[in-house]
Amino acid sequence: MNTVARELHTLGNALELAARRDLARASRSAARRRKIVAVAVGLAIAVPGLAYAATALIGAEEVAAGLPGGTRMLQGTEPKCTVVHQDVEYHCVLSRLPAEPEVADLKGTVEPTVDRTRHVNGGCRSLTSDGRAWQCYIGRAAVDQKIVSADFLGEFMPTPGVG
Amino acid sequence: MRTDAQLLAAAQTDAHAFRELYERYAERIHGFQLGRTRDQDAALDLTAETFAQAWLSRARFEDLADGSAAPWLYAIARHVLVSSVRRNQLERTACERLGVLAELDRPQVVSEPSETWLEGLKEALLELRPHERDAVRLRVIDELSYAEVGHAAGTTPGTARVRVHRGLAALRQRLLNPKEAMR
Repeated sequence: MNTVARELHTLGNALELAARRDLARASRSAARRRKIVAVAVGLAIAVPGLAYAATALIGAEEVAAGLPGGTRMLQGTEPKCTVVHQDVEYHCVLSRLPAEPEVADLKGTVEPTVDRTRHVNGGCRSLTSDGRAWQCYIGRAAVDQKIVSADFLGEFMPTPGVG
Repeated sequence: MRTDAQLLAAAQTDAHAFRELYERYAERIHGFQLGRTRDQDAALDLTAETFAQAWLSRARFEDLADGSAAPWLYAIARHVLVSSVRRNQLERTACERLGVLAELDRPQVVSEPSETWLEGLKEALLELRPHERDAVRLRVIDELSYAEVGHAAGTTPGTARVRVHRGLAALRQRLLNPKEAMR
């Protein structure tokens, strides 16, 4: 094995190790979020007085911020979201239409959302052709709605996605 | 044998599948970076960054080349190269995020990117058909979305995507086999 081949082999080992670590980190992070949501929902059901605490976990504002955070096309659109089912489903309306929509008709288009740490936490589906209204789902609900894959949930997205 | 696209799909949860993809392309990507930089250390670092970026963006890979990841990987490699020259320092963002450089346990490379690294690239770009050249430039160098590329060229995002794909394939051919590409 020559020097370059040896160096590429070492690099391959380093990349594979880093990739394994990244997967483990994403898995821990997703499990932690699932646990938090489950506990919060449980508390909200068991103790009505604690419902406010549960709503503070995934607020409509966080979903609103997560929409442009996950999709470059939606940056600058200032979504406003309302709760449909706490921690599960939200209805969002953009204050401004996407300046450069990636397709002519956005109705039915799906886009991921990210949480404050830029990990994919759900996704939204456009209800209108101009992309003004979106129905958003958090966690498993987004997978059930076929907006994001189970594998994609919890992935780190350093920058909003394109395409 | 699994296709590149299948490996990338498996790599969503399997680091070894990504390693398999790496084994297929490491020498070629390193060859591309070495051909541009003529600097062994810089080429190795740029190769590392190319694959680190590929890992971080694997969920967004779209199979547009019959299962081959080559156009996608070369696009990332070019982006890493151009970005390094533009910033006048080797692009290491993804490697740092994943901790790859710490794993390599080697002194940090101090190579200074030079405009000469892009020389052949510019010429190869100029040899492309005008609409493909413009599409590649807007997508890879200016980092526009397909919608933006389509808008700038007065066409649809789908057509822009096809032009970029064809342009990159032609570019790869010219850079790797310049004589063959001239025939």
